[in-house]
Amino acid sequence: MVEAAADLFARRAYDGVSVDDLVAHLGVHRNSLYKVFGSKRGLYLAALRWHLEHRLRPLLARVRAAPDPAGALRDLATSPDRGADLDLLLLAMAERAPVDPEAAHEVAGALRDLDAAVAPGPHATAGAGGAARDPAYAPTATVLGLRLCLRAAAGSGGAPFDPLPPTRD
Amino acid sequence: MARIRTTDDTLVVEIEGLDKLWALKSRLEIPLENVRGATADPGAVREPKGFRAPGAHLPGVITAGTFHLDGERVFWDVHDGSRAVVIELRDERYARLVVEVEDPRATVALIENALTPSAG
Repeated sequence: MVEAAADLFARRAYDGVSVDDLVAHLGVHRNSLYKVFGSKRGLYLAALRWHLEHRLRPLLARVRAAPDPAGALRDLATSPDRGADLDLLLLAMAERAPVDPEAAHEVAGALRDLDAAVAPGPHATAGAGGAARDPAYAPTATVLGLRLCLRAAAGSGGAPFDPLPPTRD
Repeated sequence: MARIRTTDDTLVVEIEGLDKLWALKSRLEIPLENVRGATADPGAVREPKGFRAPGAHLPGVITAGTFHLDGERVFWDVHDGSRAVVIELRDERYARLVVEVEDPRATVALIENALTPSAG
């Protein structure tokens, strides 16, 4: 249920997802939703945390292990298959983090992980400690901006972007 | 219609006007630690409400009072479902409150801000 909610919140703005939408898409009773999560915000935070842990973190592990992490992250952002995995983070950055301290905390952690993934220390291997000491704001910002542009282009009815070769191992 | 405000540690729900009579309740005070969250939910009013005891239910006109559904007790005070806010509680007489407020978005923000530890 949390996974389906994450997919829904990644496609539409937070305010654009009603409880009716959640009930219809998740196949859950309204009262159960309130009983388990307390509120729409409670479900949103659970979905955001699930997404960052189970979608974004494995992708960043692959990025970190790639020979060219910044290139691998760029490939990820422009991938027709995996690019959407950045969308919930993008939307959370734009609309929830500025008004919700708990969402802001999750977003800040994800951005630190992104920075760390593309800026490991010299000859770093996957899981190298201390990578976060050398943040790479520029590659992270570039990649998220790129993803935002592609998302906007997809909505304009323009031709979908060209698929890129699969991410290198 | 209900008017909602928060103090340092309490959520205060005051039922306005004649709704006091229909709902048989004029005021609810809930410790904030027992408030789990609030959601603007215009669709809530279309859900089955269970049986009422006590209160008033004239479908499409007013839902007010205490309703029992699936073993839960829910307090309703709604005329206009488009302005309904659902407030989920824990360890209280009511499992949740569904009340109509003047500005659902502002009410949800008020409650969430009271519940959320400030950033930092």
